[in-house]
Order: sequence, then C-alpha cells, then structure tokens
Amino acid sequence: MAPMRESTARVLGLVLVISYAVFIVWLYVHQPQTVAEMTGALTATVGAYQIDRQAFDDGVRFFRGDQFDAARLAFERADPAHQDPRTQFYIAYSYYRQGWGRVYNDTALFARGLEAVDRAILLADHGRVVVDDPDLQMRSADELKAELQAGLRRDASDLNPLKLFRRRK
Amino acid sequence: MSRNLEVFYLPLLFLTVTLLGGVRVAGHVMLLPPPLFTLVLAFLLLGVLVRSGALAPERLMNPARPTLANLSGAVVLIAAFVAATQAFNVAIPESGLPRLLFGVFLFVLLLNTLAASPDRLRVLRSLLVIFGSAFVLKFIVLAALSDPEGGWLKRALQTLLEGLTLGTLTQTVYSPITGYVAFIALTLFFAGLALLPPRRRSALGPPPSYPLPRGELDSPGEV
Repeated sequence: MAPMRESTARVLGLVLVISYAVFIVWLYVHQPQTVAEMTGALTATVGAYQIDRQAFDDGVRFFRGDQFDAARLAFERADPAHQDPRTQFYIAYSYYRQGWGRVYNDTALFARGLEAVDRAILLADHGRVVVDDPDLQMRSADELKAELQAGLRRDASDLNPLKLFRRRK
Repeated sequence: MSRNLEVFYLPLLFLTVTLLGGVRVAGHVMLLPPPLFTLVLAFLLLGVLVRSGALAPERLMNPARPTLANLSGAVVLIAAFVAATQAFNVAIPESGLPRLLFGVFLFVLLLNTLAASPDRLRVLRSLLVIFGSAFVLKFIVLAALSDPEGGWLKRALQTLLEGLTLGTLTQTVYSPITGYVAFIALTLFFAGLALLPPRRRSALGPPPSYPLPRGELDSPGEV
C-alpha cells in the first residue's frame, strides 16, 4: 500500500481530531444518560429524529383517561431520547394533573413536571411550545410552566380558603 | 517523532483522556467539566514539561515547518493542555477540605518541580508519583471514608483520624467503575506524555534559537 501523501494525512488528521473534539464538547454539553438519548440527540441535531407515533397516541389516550403513570410510560417509549417538545409537554402536563390537589399539591410531582416543561421549552424553536389539543386548558408551555411554578411556591395565599374552589386545568 | 504520531495518535490519545477524565458514575453517568483551577495547574504542568525537555514545542511548531505541519503541532499542544486539565480533574476531589488541600498541594508541588528543573525522565517519574498518589488518596482512601456502608479500611482510617470530623473529608460516593475509568484516563495521559517529542539537546542547555540548523530540523515526513 502506497504511503499517504503528507498534506492529505495532515488534513485528514485535523478533520478527525476536530470532529472528535466537537463530539466530546457535545457530550459534555448534552450529558446523555443512555445510548438512546445519545443517538436521539445526535439525530435531532441533524433533524432526523422521529418519535414513535403509535406509542405517543397510546400515551395521549392514557393521559385523557387520567392514567398518568401509564401515559408517561408510553410517552417515554415514544420519545426515549427526550428530544420531542410536544411529548415532553404532555409528560409535564401529566405530572401537573397527577400532582394537583384541591388542598395541596404534590411538590415532588410538580418539580418533575417543571423539569419536563423546561426540557420542552429548551427543545422547541425559539422556546415556543403550543399544543392544539381541545382537552387541555393550558395549551402553551409558558402557561403550564407558570402554573407549575405557582404550585411550588409557598406564600400567604396558600391560606386563602377560596383556594378550595379552584379547579384543575 | 513520526508523522502519524503527531497527526493522529497523540491528539486522539489526549482527546480520549479529555473525554474519560470527566466521567463520574453515581446511579447515572455525569460528565464533569474541569474546574477553573485545573487550567492553572495544566498550564504549570506544560511549563514543567517544557522546562525539563519532556516536551519540545519547537519540534511541533517552528517557522521552518509548513503551515499544515504547524497546525498539527498546535493541535497536539492544545490537546495536551486540555488532557492535562482533565487529568487534574480526575486527581482532585470534588468537594470539601480535600479539594482545597489537593489543589494547594499540587500547585506547590508543580512550582517546586518547575524551580528544580529536573530532566525529562525525573519529571515523568515525579508526575507519575504525584498523580498515582492523588489517585490512591481520592479513589481508595477518600472513597473508603465516604462509603456509607464502610469496610475494614474505613474502620482503620477512622481510628487513625480519631477526633477529626469526617464531614469535612467525605465525598460524593461514586460507583467503582468511576475509579477504573479514572485509572484508564491517567494511564493514557502518561502514555501521551511519554510520547511527546522531547528536546534533542541537553536538558541543561538553552532552547535552540531560530532558524534551527538544518541537521536539527525535522524533515516533513519525520517530525
């Protein structure tokens, strides 16, 4: 085999090293936890990521039937890489509805909902997530995030007895 | 130094150290970026390597080399610097009193080595001892002290450190795989340091002036 030309080898080496360095920086920025997350995030970077539509529809069906744990399992299956803002929005909404209480909210579930809605905002173009679903009273990630943050806040308004008459969105 | 070593093996080796140096496994995988202080330590380390002749930057970059060759040389230097920051990231504990002590200890040790101006072999041996000791202290001694279940080593250390509040020493408990990854990262780092182009003249002699005599220059194929 003929030896590689000097300049060809150096250019090839530079391309290889720069690609590897970019990959390492990307890993440190995105911190993928699983292989699915890593491959999903990589395909999303090149715009080739697709969710499992069947699993997503199953998740929405469970969500509408107030089966939130089952819904999240289906959503997780639909978007294993956590790269689809719409699915993440539904996951956040499921935490909101499950954690909502007339007297008090489940702060652990609300906190996880906030994480999911933050993820959805981060993934969406210009941070705008709007879901056209007539079953939902909050159709944007901004409304949902504000509601989750309000649910986690502790202040004097918590003692307002009229809060007992509020309704879940 | 062969062309392939400069263009492919050394940068990829150092970048692998960069990747592995931040890996921490505790339930899930975390990739910790290097703290700011490790940049200072890495800078000092490169200074020590150059001073001792373990690294001859003039063999990687000099006016007599073609632009592409100088670019490859710059990549090796940058990769070595980044790998050094991650090597210190591996060696220094993440929190508490040990972090402060390790940082100060390594800083003083590197300054001392810089002032002593030892030769290449002694510097590499010295660095091996420094990083080896830091590894043992962090991943064996401190890990044993921080382990909530404990073991014979923890009991022995508690007896030795009687009266000292362990809260200042304990660290985040990582999965044992973190130690193995750290060991591989440090081993690769030392392999990289040993493969760096050394100075050709006497360790005590002055660095070569430019332009270098023809015989001192690397040919484009053998840099």
